[in-house]
Amino acid sequence: MASDHGRARRWRGVLTTPVGLTAAVLLVAVAVLTVLGPVLWGTSADAVDTRDVLATPSPEHWAGTDNLGRDILARTLVATRLSMVLAVCAITVAVAAGLLLGAAPYLLGGRAGRLVSAAVNVAVAFPGLLLALFFAVVFGVGATGAVMAVGLAGAPVFARLTQTLVAQVAGRDYVSAARVAGVGRLRILLRHVLPNIAEPLVVNATIGAGGALLAFSGLSFLGLGVQSPAYDWGRLLYDGISAIYVNPAAALAPGLAVLLAGLAFNLFGESVAKGFGVPVLVGAPELRSRGRAAAAAADAPTGTDGDPDEAADDVVLEVRDLEVVFPTATGTVRPVRGVSFDVRRGEAVGVVGESGSGKSLTALAVSRLVSEDGTVRAGRLRFLDQDLTAPDSPALRRMLGTSLAMVFQDPMTSFNPTRRIGRQLAEVATEHQGLGRAEALGRAVDRLDSVRIPDAGRRARQYPHEFSGGMRQRAMIGMGLMGTPSLVVADEPTTALDVTVQQQVLDLLAEIRAADDVALVLISHDVTVVAEVCDRVLVMYAGRIVEDVSAAGLATRAQHPYTRALVAAVPHMDTDLDQPLATIPGRPVDPAEVPAGCAYAARCPLADARCRAEDPPLVAAVDGSRVACWHAGEPLPDPVVRTAEDRTGLDALDADELVEAP
Amino acid sequence: MTTTSTPTLADAASTSAAAAPRWWEQPWVLFAARRALRLLVSVWVLVTASFAMIHLIPGDPVRGALGPTAPAALVEARRTALGLDDPLPVQYLHYLQGLFTGDLGTSLISQLPVVDVVGQRLPATLALAVLAFLASVAVAVPLGTLLGVLTRRGHGRRTELAFTTTSIVVATVPDFLIGVALVYVFGVELGWLPVAGNASAEAYVLPVLSLSIGPAAILARIVRVEMVTVLEADYIRTARAKRLRARRIHLRHALPNALTSALTLGGLLLGSMVAGTVLVENVFAWPGLGSTIVSSILNKDYPVVQAIVLVYGLGVLLVNTAVDVSLALLDPRSMIREG
Amino acid sequence: MSELRFEDVTVRFGRTTAVDRVSLTVPVGTVVGLVGESGSGKSTLARAAVGLTEPESGAITLGGRPVPHRGARRPLQMVFQDPYSSLDPRMSIGDSIAEALPRDLDDVRGRRARRDEVARLLELVHLDPHRARDLPARLSGGQRQRVALARALAGRPEVVIADEITSALDVSIQGAVLNLVRELQAELGLSMLFISHNLAVVRYVASRVAVMQGGRIVEEGPTAQVLGAPEHDYTRELLAAAPGRKPS
Repeated sequence: MASDHGRARRWRGVLTTPVGLTAAVLLVAVAVLTVLGPVLWGTSADAVDTRDVLATPSPEHWAGTDNLGRDILARTLVATRLSMVLAVCAITVAVAAGLLLGAAPYLLGGRAGRLVSAAVNVAVAFPGLLLALFFAVVFGVGATGAVMAVGLAGAPVFARLTQTLVAQVAGRDYVSAARVAGVGRLRILLRHVLPNIAEPLVVNATIGAGGALLAFSGLSFLGLGVQSPAYDWGRLLYDGISAIYVNPAAALAPGLAVLLAGLAFNLFGESVAKGFGVPVLVGAPELRSRGRAAAAAADAPTGTDGDPDEAADDVVLEVRDLEVVFPTATGTVRPVRGVSFDVRRGEAVGVVGESGSGKSLTALAVSRLVSEDGTVRAGRLRFLDQDLTAPDSPALRRMLGTSLAMVFQDPMTSFNPTRRIGRQLAEVATEHQGLGRAEALGRAVDRLDSVRIPDAGRRARQYPHEFSGGMRQRAMIGMGLMGTPSLVVADEPTTALDVTVQQQVLDLLAEIRAADDVALVLISHDVTVVAEVCDRVLVMYAGRIVEDVSAAGLATRAQHPYTRALVAAVPHMDTDLDQPLATIPGRPVDPAEVPAGCAYAARCPLADARCRAEDPPLVAAVDGSRVACWHAGEPLPDPVVRTAEDRTGLDALDADELVEAP
Repeated sequence: MTTTSTPTLADAASTSAAAAPRWWEQPWVLFAARRALRLLVSVWVLVTASFAMIHLIPGDPVRGALGPTAPAALVEARRTALGLDDPLPVQYLHYLQGLFTGDLGTSLISQLPVVDVVGQRLPATLALAVLAFLASVAVAVPLGTLLGVLTRRGHGRRTELAFTTTSIVVATVPDFLIGVALVYVFGVELGWLPVAGNASAEAYVLPVLSLSIGPAAILARIVRVEMVTVLEADYIRTARAKRLRARRIHLRHALPNALTSALTLGGLLLGSMVAGTVLVENVFAWPGLGSTIVSSILNKDYPVVQAIVLVYGLGVLLVNTAVDVSLALLDPRSMIREG
Repeated sequence: MSELRFEDVTVRFGRTTAVDRVSLTVPVGTVVGLVGESGSGKSTLARAAVGLTEPESGAITLGGRPVPHRGARRPLQMVFQDPYSSLDPRMSIGDSIAEALPRDLDDVRGRRARRDEVARLLELVHLDPHRARDLPARLSGGQRQRVALARALAGRPEVVIADEITSALDVSIQGAVLNLVRELQAELGLSMLFISHNLAVVRYVASRVAVMQGGRIVEEGPTAQVLGAPEHDYTRELLAAAPGRKPS
């Protein structure tokens, strides 16, 4: 995860938030008091003054005195040490017992392991306070008993946390790899598992220390913890509340102390958890900002993509200079940088590119579905003559809801798991077409039937988890057919599917196109899929279209070196087995670090000084194809044949691969 | 492409479509059986633990209860009466027998049957816990949902920070401290509300408040986080692609899913609320099980402690089971997913 | 070198049979491709071979003897699918490789010898030996997969199992890893069980192919024969579904 450098940066991030800083300062103050409290105020805390008992706050005694005339404030300050020592002891017991119990299932494995984890699961269901009371009875009333009680009561929660974390890490491939390499279980636990779960454990232990402090004061408050003449905050509170009508400060001072110290631990732990993206026991981790240090703040001017001529009459979708911008911690990224294209009635346009090329965001942007932190800008963005840059309105929603169908990548997660499939389809009709529930459901069954879901009537009443992946993807297409779509936007619709199922889904899309002259925008990383299904292919690289070529010409007439390399790098069923595959050195451009000039220059064998300085515009040729390259169509050098002996060129390849920021 | 070899749920469904599942293979039957089994095991653990408690105490519990000055004959008589001189398995059997016949033993101090003590104190505690639960849910769910929508990705960063910090701070304050503060403000300073007992309707206000504020803060926080997470889900994007109204997306598509996740943690919270009554009852001199258990622990009246631990534990287990069942009703996957 | 042989291997998870009486041989010095769709049992078969899953019945042997799952020597090594989870994020890549070195070999005793061996392995997979101290986070997906290969080779394996090692990579990077696999095989005479759902990829690296469906192997033979003249219906179905096969 974090390198040392990254860790330092995160700590700084934690400590520069107001909450994190406050908590850290409070923690330091508590630590100082723990050490110095008894030294500085020990005598005044024990000074009995029978002439001045149960006094209200005064200049001599800021929080008044107790029933022996001792100064409450001094006693509260002195009590810091005992309270903290007991809390730390208790949390140590809890963490130690929790670690043992939590790691045991992994070490023991098999039946014994399952027994331990079942026992932990039963124990964790009982609230800590109840367990603490139970142990307090067993260990007897007093400080030691309370330490054991609070500690053991906290153990199940830590055991469960450890168990979950261990199981997570143990499921990772690097643990499997270590096992295959012959590393023993205990060694794996110490070398691979514990270091990788240390962060969340420490954070939760910090929060737990706060919890232990409060739990301890609770026990003392009940009279079950620290016994006179010793005193911790809970004990002072216990004494103070009996005199609350005489001197409220006697209860409020220790109460405030407990609260501040508990808060210090909790807030500090939570801030660290948030800064480091560590899960805590309550709730899920906050979303982490997805961006990295964005170099894109210094917006390099981009040439706008070559303007296709005025849109013809049969254009369904018209896109000019489309841009998508996301804010990041340090600036903005622009994963889509000036994209222009048209889609005609009934036309199938493929968009190919690697991860980070901006192809999916382009699809989302033309469908008005970019998540709300992103900004979409476009010179022109029109669908069926409606301006898609216009603000949201019921009319626009109705038009899009009935004319634009979407198919997403992962059919497993794209349906709402808690609603029946039929209802999810019917919703389109009740929302946009004014149909009643029964009527809409009837239409849903009909559409499911038309995408060849067998026994559609029964299937409509099922939940998504009862459908197979391919069936869900067909149902998703059926959902698009609830209206009368003019355009289907399919974002990697078959990536999550098996090849045989993939073919069925692609066939279904082709049928729909043919039947009603529906246009299709198919996003895919797979050149072969796009070439098979589409009429025209847009090749995207680093947020721009670098080539727009007919699907038939993809293999033979492509001009851009990236397109040509992409086609050659992917083995197909007729690839020459005697030749090494073409390779593209380096790695795809990170949207946050788009270089000046042509973004592909760093990986391009044809690149020269001009390429590195000036981004080539997308220029249209006579046949309607478009390409953005200063060296379009120039012959490429033969793919370098690299053998083990040929060591000279190999590190050049690595040098090009950008280093991934932590 | 992953190549997991465990069959997907859909595979299971399609194979079961071929050969109709027998009734005991229905997911809900299996689910009910598993749940019942888990409840039984947990109850057994609880009963055994409460039985073991009295034997884990170092020294002679009867001597401890009656004090060092009690005559030896009395101690011995009590020991015999409690059956403490029998062999352990016999005692265990007697204990189980007693539980089934509603005999929880006799208080060492008051000599009253423990069943009567518990029966007399239980309603007050139950009323407190249920009211506090309802109050915290009524506040937390709408609040968490609203804040989830307001702080969804790309929105309300300041709101999020303010809410998260506030909720942590509020949730950190232990219920008995809230109780003390409420007593001070409304009882001592303002004198508006009664601070002890449960004689009147007004007497419920402060105890319920102090018991529900913390859990409400935690629950609201969980609901918010879940709501934000759910609003990022693929199926919400699907709902947006259907161009539904925002309100429908938030309430019909997001909220039920957010609640199912929140419910799991909410169940634990509810359990801790049951236990939380112990402290709050002691602040407000509430005549419930909580104040009784503390005085019984201090008086070493072990049969009463045993019984109350049992009652609290049962309460928690029933709450957890209720949560699991409602989870299964809300999210049909959960029946199959976990065992 | 010795051949890896599965004989009548069955693996069950509860009531479902993931691998159903599979027999398969990886001859010395050859790459055998194992194709099939998700849930066909091909990864389970691999995990059973290296001891990550316990087969219910049948035998998995290496050179006639059961594959050792204990002790210092692990002659069967495996490379995993996901380059982002197959390297410990807190361990330098050099340490990750060194961990897999056999502990009973004299030529890798001592700190220096181990470092030299790690450097040799890194060079073998075309990575700069100076990067041995880097953490995985500083490497790209393709580079990580090459480290994973080096780690597998560190154990001086007689057979390497590669489980979908390119399916998580970007297409521009996949080619380099496939080239490396072919190169290592030619150079070291490595035997390999190469698992993939992608027929074209298997065709490119494997000389024999086995097709798996529903936990069984339905067809097995030389690559050219199986893909050129498939005998089983399912193989034909797979071939027909492979993108780029359809006349447009």
